[in-house]
Amino acid sequence: MDRDDLSKKRLLFNLAALIDLGEEITSDKDFKGVIKSSLYLIMGTLSASRGAILEYEGGRLQFLASKGLEGEERAIDLLPEELTFLRSHNQPFLFESSSLFLEGRQKWEALLPVLVAPMIVKKEFIGLITIGKRFTGEAYTQEDMDILSVMAKHIGTGIYNHNLLLSLSQKVEENRRLYTELQLVYYDTIQALAAAIDAKDDYTKGHSRRVARYCVALAEELGLSREEIEAIRIAGFLHDVGKIAIDRSIINKPSKPTKEERMELNQHPLISYEILSKVRFPWKEIPLSVRYHHERVDGKGYPDRLTGDKIPLLAKIMAVADAFDAMTTDRPYRKRLSIDEVFREFEREMGKQFDPRVAEVLLRRLKKELAGEVKERRLLMDEGMEEGPSLRRLYLRRIN
Amino acid sequence: MDRSFVVIKEIGDCGIIYANGYLNGLGAERLEEECEQLLREGIKKIVVNFKKTELINSIGISVLIGIIEKVRSAGGHLGFCNLEKVHAETFEMLGFTKYVPIFPSEEEALISMEKRPPYRGRASRKEGSDG
Ligand SMILES: [Fe+2]
Repeated sequence: MDRDDLSKKRLLFNLAALIDLGEEITSDKDFKGVIKSSLYLIMGTLSASRGAILEYEGGRLQFLASKGLEGEERAIDLLPEELTFLRSHNQPFLFESSSLFLEGRQKWEALLPVLVAPMIVKKEFIGLITIGKRFTGEAYTQEDMDILSVMAKHIGTGIYNHNLLLSLSQKVEENRRLYTELQLVYYDTIQALAAAIDAKDDYTKGHSRRVARYCVALAEELGLSREEIEAIRIAGFLHDVGKIAIDRSIINKPSKPTKEERMELNQHPLISYEILSKVRFPWKEIPLSVRYHHERVDGKGYPDRLTGDKIPLLAKIMAVADAFDAMTTDRPYRKRLSIDEVFREFEREMGKQFDPRVAEVLLRRLKKELAGEVKERRLLMDEGMEEGPSLRRLYLRRIN
Repeated sequence: MDRSFVVIKEIGDCGIIYANGYLNGLGAERLEEECEQLLREGIKKIVVNFKKTELINSIGISVLIGIIEKVRSAGGHLGFCNLEKVHAETFEMLGFTKYVPIFPSEEEALISMEKRPPYRGRASRKEGSDG
């Protein structure tokens, strides 16, 4: 594998770990098991041979989980200045470079930490994640620290939430709010990864984010359930993940692709499916709806040439959202379409490329947004909300 | 749900661990436990066969690192065999291949374990555990 392949592979590996962690933390498995799995996920991601998750309680750090320790788990008493130091660090740091532990470092011996990630939720110090050396002996990179930071936030929120649930006196409302926050962390992670996918493609920056947004708008218009809307949001973010396996020079080619290149490009829904079907999503529909996002209702799409009745609704929505974004962004070999052309294109392709019902919903929503009849614009985004073109600016000017 | 199932076989002085199923949950820890058990029994040559491995995620990787470390500190010899391409590439990316020899088949792994002078990876020299 060359370096580009390695970095793609690394990205996918980290992506899978982050998604697994998100699912792990939001699962209703027993708490001990969740924390242990989370630790193993981090250690596997960082290739660490030693690590622990410790919870802060009554002046000391108690072990929640550990792996590969030198000796046994023994609670660690914190000095007041150590506590102050940890409280003020909500990002991972190198143990060696923190002068704080020079005194009394004996108590850290079983952990032999290289990286330390304090977990802080709502300004409360929850505990620590410590990570020992990498099994290859190689130094950790900034990317490793970033991943550890996201994972520590997940786990910290999970522990905090668990403790809240334990104390029955807490109001139900607060728990619900925290659960929502946890979900937001999960989405943040997926969005960050979608941005990483889009970054590989010079001409479609922000594509995955926008498609996710359009998918949700259409799903809402179609009156789908909350579950289905969540599923299509994630599917939208990740639908082009398979492009990661396709040669960058083909994706970024500033002219129309050749027949061979087209064939390779057309592999991406299958590759996306292969990748996503290995991830345990809470929503089962995601892999298949991604696989079929380039199918056409007339059966002339790819990769499976399914006809209308065989294509799942979520995939039909994604096809419309994807095409809408393609039409409304500049591509290397053509300019974006005018709003009239967008309407004409969708009208012409109803029942051919697109499911008529979904295409109609798009056009209906588009008309409403153009006429200013909606509270929040989803298809014609508000300025400054997203990177990439602001459709509102591009198209509304024409109307007003 | 746990979908990993570990099988152990001993051939001569070599232990073979079959990492069957999904190495993506705490169930994968059984691999490491079986490996420890073999080492305790004095079996220091260990081959992990991935022929029936469906999926390896970061949890599985952390367990495999545990195995590498345990065999390393026991002064033993470890080999992997029957790796699917996708797993082989993951191992390459993670640097496993520099520490553990990878064989196309179990037979080749066993022949190497038996006949060749014991594997001396960089890691075992560094740790000084290889004699
Ligand atoms: Fe696509």
